[in-house]
Amino acid sequence: MSLIIAGRALPLVLLVIIIAAILWYMQQAYSGNVPKLRRLNAVDVIGEILGRCVEMGRPAWYLMDTVDMTTPSVLAPTVAAFQILSHTARSAARLGAKFFVPVTQGLAYTIANDIVEEAYRAEGKYEYFDPLGTVMYLPDGADRMYIINHMWSDQIAGAFFMGSWYHKAVIFTENAARAGALMLGGTDTTHNIPFLVAICDYSIIGEELYALGAYVSQDPTQSSSLAGQDIGKYIAMALIILGAILATIGIDISSIFTM
Amino acid sequence: MLIEFFFPMPKAVTDTNVTLRSFVTIVSATALILGIIILTISHLRKISRQESEWYYSIIYIIALVITAGLGLTGVRNTNFLWIYNNMTAPIGVALYSLTAFYITSAAFRIFRARNWSSAVLLVCGFILLMMLIPIGAAIFPPVVPIGEWLRSYPSSAGFRGMIIGTSLGIMGLGVRVYTGRQKEHMGIREERAEVA
Repeated sequence: MSLIIAGRALPLVLLVIIIAAILWYMQQAYSGNVPKLRRLNAVDVIGEILGRCVEMGRPAWYLMDTVDMTTPSVLAPTVAAFQILSHTARSAARLGAKFFVPVTQGLAYTIANDIVEEAYRAEGKYEYFDPLGTVMYLPDGADRMYIINHMWSDQIAGAFFMGSWYHKAVIFTENAARAGALMLGGTDTTHNIPFLVAICDYSIIGEELYALGAYVSQDPTQSSSLAGQDIGKYIAMALIILGAILATIGIDISSIFTM
Repeated sequence: MLIEFFFPMPKAVTDTNVTLRSFVTIVSATALILGIIILTISHLRKISRQESEWYYSIIYIIALVITAGLGLTGVRNTNFLWIYNNMTAPIGVALYSLTAFYITSAAFRIFRARNWSSAVLLVCGFILLMMLIPIGAAIFPPVVPIGEWLRSYPSSAGFRGMIIGTSLGIMGLGVRVYTGRQKEHMGIREERAEVA
């Protein structure tokens, strides 16, 4: 019996290198040596959207589409969306914006409720948190009509679309746009990124969803992990260039991927 | 589970992983019940206070009582299945079909040559649209190979780059969660002014 499952030796090596790079940058930040990172525009946009809602006296919604936390591919963007929710809810509580978070899955609902409740408590605005209304459980399927209808009746002024988005991305963002909401959209679901980018006023794409959560955390060790991820990008770029050159000159290296 | 992905493991370890995964399902189902209870309380409050559109809450309560009552007698119950097959499923499909109309209006919003990048998007979108509709190839045959090239090379390259970036983002997220630096997803937010 082989020590490593066939075809997974190279991914294991790359995983170890990238994780080591991330941990090294986190350790550097903990020692006070914080790397310089590009500021994401979305950080300022969150405050802009909530500020608009306060000025207009209309609510801000934070929507996450598929939040099935038992599915690995959905779990990661959902956790990233929760981290951004934590920051957004706290900003909403501080600014006094009406905030509403519909959630379509039981487990995600309890977590989102805890996050928002904690955010209001941390800002000393717990009296504005409605245990039955700020975060609402809407069974999947019934959520579409509720959300479309209430986007119009509540006249939302701001909306955040974060996490793993599928066909509802188009339906909800279009309705929010028509209702006059200022929108920030972010997903890692590649086939729905174009819709969020096209319809939302501001958007974060792919890995920026994960980066934004770390960026707004106010924790340098978290934001520094983004510099570690860049090592992974350099490795990927080097491998792509190397692979293109080798393929062009006719050298087959496919056997190393089955090791 | 990460170790199981890379290394061959004894059956006892894989069985433990399956058991752990079933715990997730059980916790998730329990949270679902909690969600339904809170939603029901919310609707009852709406009815008692006669808030706007409170009459829809009565429909919710009636639907919940009938569907849950029939479902509890057995998920194979004929009446329960009738409700699902003839009411829930068609409503879901009808709502799903709305996507087509929203995509059309979204396309109208997107395909405007406001600047250089949106003009590129407009031209590429038009070529792909012409490639996919039968009349496109009939009017201008080269649109098919051009469209295929756009889909196979620039578009695929962009998407693969996106997938690589997303995968790295997930790795970073995993490291932050497992090292305990990121706790916001559990409703815990620490003030971290101590770190420079």
